[in-house]
Amino acid sequence: MSISARGRVGVWLAGLVACAIVVARSDYGADLAAFLPSSPSPVQRFLVGELREGVASRLALIGIEGAAETVLAGASRAMLERLRGDEAFAYATNGAGDSLRADGRFLLRNRYLLSPDVAPERFSVAGIRAGLERQLDLLGSPAGMLVGDLIARDPTGEMLGLADRLQGAGHGPDKREGVWFSADGRRALLVAQTRAPGFDIDAQERALGRIRAAFADAARESGATAAKLVVTGPGVFAVESRAGIKRDALRFSLLGTVLVAGILLLVYRSLPVLGLTLVPVASGALAGIAAVSLAFGSVHGVTIGFGATLIGESVDYAIYLFTNTAPGSRPQAALQRIWPTLRLGMLTSAFGFGAMLFSGFPGLAQLGLFSIAGLVVAVYVTRWVLPGLVPRDYHVRVVAGLGPALVRLLAAARRLRPAVGLLAVAAVALLALKGPTVWDDELSSLSPVPLSVQRLDQQMRADLGAPDIGPMVIVSGRTQQEALEAAEQVGAALAALQGRGVLEGYDSPAFYLPSEAAQRRRQQAIPPAPALRANLAQAAAGLPFRAGTFAPFLEDAQAAAAQAPVTDRDLAGTGIALKLQALLGQRGGAWHATLPLRGVRDADAVREALAAFGDSAVLLDMKRELDGLYHGYRLRALGFALLGALAIAVLLGLALRSARRSADVLAPLVAAVLVTAALLVAVGTRLNIFHLVALLLVVGVGSNYTLFFERGSPGAADPGRTATSVLFCNLATVAGFGVLGFASTPVLGAIGTTVAIGALLSLAFAVVLAAAPVQARATAG
Amino acid sequence: MPGLERILLAACLALASVPACAAGWGVEDLMRELAAVESSQARFVERKYLRMLKAPLEQSGTLSYSRPGRLERRTLKPRPETLSVSGDTLVLESPARNERRVLKLRDYPVLWGFVESIRGTLGGDLPALERFYRVELEGARSQWRLDLVPRERAMGEVISLIRIAGGGARIHTIEVQEARGDRSVMKIEAQQP
Repeated sequence: MSISARGRVGVWLAGLVACAIVVARSDYGADLAAFLPSSPSPVQRFLVGELREGVASRLALIGIEGAAETVLAGASRAMLERLRGDEAFAYATNGAGDSLRADGRFLLRNRYLLSPDVAPERFSVAGIRAGLERQLDLLGSPAGMLVGDLIARDPTGEMLGLADRLQGAGHGPDKREGVWFSADGRRALLVAQTRAPGFDIDAQERALGRIRAAFADAARESGATAAKLVVTGPGVFAVESRAGIKRDALRFSLLGTVLVAGILLLVYRSLPVLGLTLVPVASGALAGIAAVSLAFGSVHGVTIGFGATLIGESVDYAIYLFTNTAPGSRPQAALQRIWPTLRLGMLTSAFGFGAMLFSGFPGLAQLGLFSIAGLVVAVYVTRWVLPGLVPRDYHVRVVAGLGPALVRLLAAARRLRPAVGLLAVAAVALLALKGPTVWDDELSSLSPVPLSVQRLDQQMRADLGAPDIGPMVIVSGRTQQEALEAAEQVGAALAALQGRGVLEGYDSPAFYLPSEAAQRRRQQAIPPAPALRANLAQAAAGLPFRAGTFAPFLEDAQAAAAQAPVTDRDLAGTGIALKLQALLGQRGGAWHATLPLRGVRDADAVREALAAFGDSAVLLDMKRELDGLYHGYRLRALGFALLGALAIAVLLGLALRSARRSADVLAPLVAAVLVTAALLVAVGTRLNIFHLVALLLVVGVGSNYTLFFERGSPGAADPGRTATSVLFCNLATVAGFGVLGFASTPVLGAIGTTVAIGALLSLAFAVVLAAAPVQARATAG
Repeated sequence: MPGLERILLAACLALASVPACAAGWGVEDLMRELAAVESSQARFVERKYLRMLKAPLEQSGTLSYSRPGRLERRTLKPRPETLSVSGDTLVLESPARNERRVLKLRDYPVLWGFVESIRGTLGGDLPALERFYRVELEGARSQWRLDLVPRERAMGEVISLIRIAGGGARIHTIEVQEARGDRSVMKIEAQQP
């Protein structure tokens, strides 16, 4: 026996080492794709690609605040200089004039190839006359100052049209001292785009480090020592949420552990035994991560977040073992008594989480595998390893009289049975009343980023005039030219819709880089020099322009007709290049053009107009689409949770061989889950996937309580000890998760609150609903 | 206090190029007088002499000003058009061209400087004027002339001189000489509110 015990410890230790090696070599990710179905539609695939590596995913929004305007502007300039010299960034700007001037030069040089208004009629006598009259009108007006000498080169007004289009509906961020500022003038703003894609958190973390270093240098150089740096953006979020989860999980697990350890120390009065309690917990967590890493290749950050939840259940196993070891007997004896209940409790939880394994969402499947592997290992470590490690003759000295007092309390609790029923009914009524609104179907609710940081990001986006992700049309082609041509055709359809008032406007990569075909058409629209000169002379007749005024126009037009087509290389160094990059990109062998829409009043009319383009043009409402995806995800998770519940019911039915006994075990759990959910909803919480998983955990933890109180349970033989044991387990769970409830990371907070409330209610309801049989046994024995 | 008098005299001698000083009436006095005006209305006729045009362009309409910093130029002829400035925002509305532009003055330093030359004068806001221009005053209270020469090179490339003439708290003409030879003269005739 002692050899085999030593052998088991050896096997366990070897297993631990193996798991540790796997864990140490694992990749950890926070890839949103894990929360999307594993077989996405083309639209979903585009979305995920955009989220993972699109330009938007690479943007860092940078703010400098906390000093006088001039100091902030100086720091902004100094910081920009450093970011521009840094390889990690493809682009950085603070709105200072240089890129604006570069934009102006680019537009002026290529205006006849870029302007969609350029067509043969534009250069007819009537076309030029209309242009000249308009320019004359402008010259007289105060707006004339804005155009100045440009008129001589551009009588048809292409530049004004291009500039208006470039500006779109908004007019960009506020400027002070020549650089971007927030509307209230308290924060200087910069934008940087990393070379690394947003999903590469390590690279994003390095880039964030460079931003911080650039700021520190710039602040020192410009004397802005009091200034503060704020940075947001998807990459920053990914970095910070990873760090935040780590920090929060560590801090609150530590706090929780200290609390739980304090409670257990009071009960155990032995440090070594306290240490032993953690043995199954740590083994389980290690095994869970190793299993996920082996099965999925990488471990998602959220899965680790759930590690905390596993502790809640696996810590109970050791507590049950120790508190059930009666004085003078050995832990093995206690184990023999409680093992069937313990195992059934573990299986119940495993069944609950098992459903998630088959959900088709890698994120959920990871969670399921993690929990199952962790629980199985924890319970078997408790069964086979722990008893051999317990000091000889150790037993828990329960406070005298606690057992009998609890039993009396249990007997009294019976009177509360109708109250539990009422509570459950009220909970169902509340949930039914609220209907689907109890769920939070916004993807942002899943974001591990605290709400205050999300608000800051929104504020900076608003200040920068960066529109929220709204509806857009995605157009695809095999080559860049094909995508641009398609974008021009779709653009024509959108312009028609704009004319009908269906939408306020749209943007298109073809505005900044027209297809070569369109550029050639525009070149061909420019008449040969003699014809254009004749048209101009005829158009200017009777107008007060001096002869020869428009010689620059004639020169420019001829040069434009002969110039090489504009390519994306010509855009280098302009702000337009950034815009184009955001709207036109190549991924997975195809080119995608994005046409963001403004002020859509009738999405169906847009969809109808796009139908003519078949699959090559899709209307996409990014936020709606993402929220829709998440909604589907949540629905499926709910479905699998219910399936898990069904599996638990079947399992209990088989194990207990009695419908009545199964119902006894399940009733308190169902009531606890319903009342917990209703409580959360009643205080204004909207439930998300994390609450759902936490409720599953409530079932797992709670099933142990109800199984121990159940009439056929071996625990019924010693009700005082059983009650004490369950009470301590519950105290530990509520303390551990209650602390977690204060975490600012939404995932951890949601799980903490839900499990703490749920566990407390599970125990209370288990006691009230199972009170009669326990008392009957107690008086009988 | 003969000492103080001597110092004052020395100061006036040093500033002898500013004739107003000798008369005991200076740019601060003018600004104080202008700043006391709460609001004003006027009719204007503006002639623009542009190099590319054979004949001057003429516009006419009304001007209105109210403290602090609100300025509106309403063109009535040849086509209705309104330019209004309030704080940092300039709005240009032209029903004929079916246009409405909203600009932030900070984004257009030259335009900002131009607006400030009129708004700063009307408001008696010397710091605002001196931010953009070297300010020189000639004449007396009853008939004065304010010459504004741009300080910044960027603005100097567009405008070489703005000359504002008036009497008391009234402005009579605003003349703008552009660097490239264009010129405009605005005659202003006070309107009793």
